[in-house]
Amino acid sequence: MKRRTFIASGVGAAAGATLLGGPVAAQSKEVIIATTAGLMERSLQEHFYRRFEKEQGIRVRSVPIELPDQWARAVAAGRSGGPAPFDIVTATPPDLIQHKDILLPIDCAKQETITKNALPNSCFPNGLMRTGGGMVMLWNGKNFPAGKEPQSWADFFDIAKFPGPRTLPDTGDREWWVPVMALLADGVPADKLFPLDLDRAYRKLDALKPSVAAWWKSGDNSMQILRGGEAVMAMVYSSRAVPLTKNEGFNFTWNQAIRDVGNWAILKNAPNAANALAFLNFFTTTPEEHVPFSAKVSFDSNNAAAANLIPPGERRFRPSWPDNWSKLVVADYEWIAAHRAAMRERWISWLTR
Amino acid sequence: MNAITSARHLSATATAALLTPFLALLAIAFLLPLGVLLYESLFVPAPTVQHYAKVFDDPVYVRVLWRTLRISAIVTVATLVLAYPLALVMTRSRGAVLALLVACVLLPLWTSVLVRTYAWTVILQRNGIVNQLLQELGWTSGPVRLLYTEGAVALAMAHVLLPFMVLPIWAALRNIPDDYARAAAMLGASPLRIFVEIVWPLSRPGVASGCLMVFLLSMGFFVTPALIGGPQQMMMATLVSQQVRELLNWPFAGALVGCLLVVTLGLVLAFNRTLGLDRFVGSR
Repeated sequence: MKRRTFIASGVGAAAGATLLGGPVAAQSKEVIIATTAGLMERSLQEHFYRRFEKEQGIRVRSVPIELPDQWARAVAAGRSGGPAPFDIVTATPPDLIQHKDILLPIDCAKQETITKNALPNSCFPNGLMRTGGGMVMLWNGKNFPAGKEPQSWADFFDIAKFPGPRTLPDTGDREWWVPVMALLADGVPADKLFPLDLDRAYRKLDALKPSVAAWWKSGDNSMQILRGGEAVMAMVYSSRAVPLTKNEGFNFTWNQAIRDVGNWAILKNAPNAANALAFLNFFTTTPEEHVPFSAKVSFDSNNAAAANLIPPGERRFRPSWPDNWSKLVVADYEWIAAHRAAMRERWISWLTR
Repeated sequence: MNAITSARHLSATATAALLTPFLALLAIAFLLPLGVLLYESLFVPAPTVQHYAKVFDDPVYVRVLWRTLRISAIVTVATLVLAYPLALVMTRSRGAVLALLVACVLLPLWTSVLVRTYAWTVILQRNGIVNQLLQELGWTSGPVRLLYTEGAVALAMAHVLLPFMVLPIWAALRNIPDDYARAAAMLGASPLRIFVEIVWPLSRPGVASGCLMVFLLSMGFFVTPALIGGPQQMMMATLVSQQVRELLNWPFAGALVGCLLVVTLGLVLAFNRTLGLDRFVGSR
């Protein structure tokens, strides 16, 4: 009921604007944003969409959709040359490169609001970081209490010093997450990782494989494996490491964590491209909204000032806290996008061996 | 005679009308997608056998196929060993005992496979009851790895598929008239001889259809191996799904399905020859 009234008033406002004529009528008064359904969409609505509507008078039409469907529709529209089905889409870093042809370039240097408010290195030629976290190393505090804690991925491979079964991801972007982690463990500096020496990475991983008791398939699955004691050390999403550390006796480090981000991007034939850009700029403002939003989705969002509002005790759990953010390893997504299929083949054939 | 014939045999129109919904569903939901997949495996991007060659080029795929056959065989034998005595007891039971046994067989069938599989992960995990029991009995000094092993996959699959073995065997055993055993006993046959010469041969068609059903279901099983097993216990269904969902390689997925289909059909034919399933289907 509430939603319907809200839509009706929106339509009324738009009609009113049209009747008044003038420059307002020439410009659309809405923006269509595609995002994954559930917690993410709900939290965005509560903290950003409503405030944007109120402050800028542009109505947000939110489309809940899974990423593969979103890309299928965007790509199909791009191919036919018709108007895009959405203005703003959700994109992983390799998506930004793979779908470059249908994405609107963003001139980051000219976006004053973004430059002033966003996190460093979070605006890209055709996308803006929305949420960020990392693939972190986590361990069970019972097995490795304070003073005996592993420090880096090299320790993850040191079975003699840190005995016990491990768990690694077999989902998402594991075809490069895990090789990157292996190369870091083998002593490759974070800025010399790419192009990835996959032979070296897999040689290193061969030695670890007998100690990997389980390969997790989803965030929930990783938590269940760790709670059940199936593994005492893991590579997991920071959004899972934080609750495990706060409530269940685990601990994790941001050291050498691999940055894992979700982005906003604007489609080339977007019907309301100007409004879309306005929303992206708006999204990097209002730190007081970013703090509760991040708490809800367990990822940090793109605002540099939000970290200062976080109580000191909470800071070590926040990826965007400067000390943590600077530790994250950033991948070369151009290289990954170009070699993705071959890397996946190799991963699957290595894993099933 | 005439009345019996007409009651037994439907007119051609009636037969067609009654079969149409089923055949339509079969064609749209099974034959069409299968055909498209097999077509892709042979004609995309151009007429080629490269996708099939790849299946046999990389030892990984042959190993997964072989593992699928091995686990399916283990599960079939395990369910047979568990189900036959149970079915035998069920034919000899009456009243409350029978009702209880039937409930024990059927209730799991009404529970989601997912739930039953998750139950096994809870039982078999390192902090699970099996590991606790082993340690309390002093059989192991620390927790042992039970989950993500081939044994765990076979065990959970055998549990999930057990009803498909029990029911046909029970049906076959129930159809054996008591008179045969009684006559044999009167003529001095021992219980063992009665079993070997009368009960077992007459129940064989039930055994054959149970084995066939469990084996075929195992060959395409997805949920349980995916949850209980790790990548080293991967079976064909998971491999196919991975090719489709993660690599978007439909032609190669089609080639894997084609190989699985050929192997399965070959085994069914061989099985049919040795255990005589057609006699079961054809008789009565």
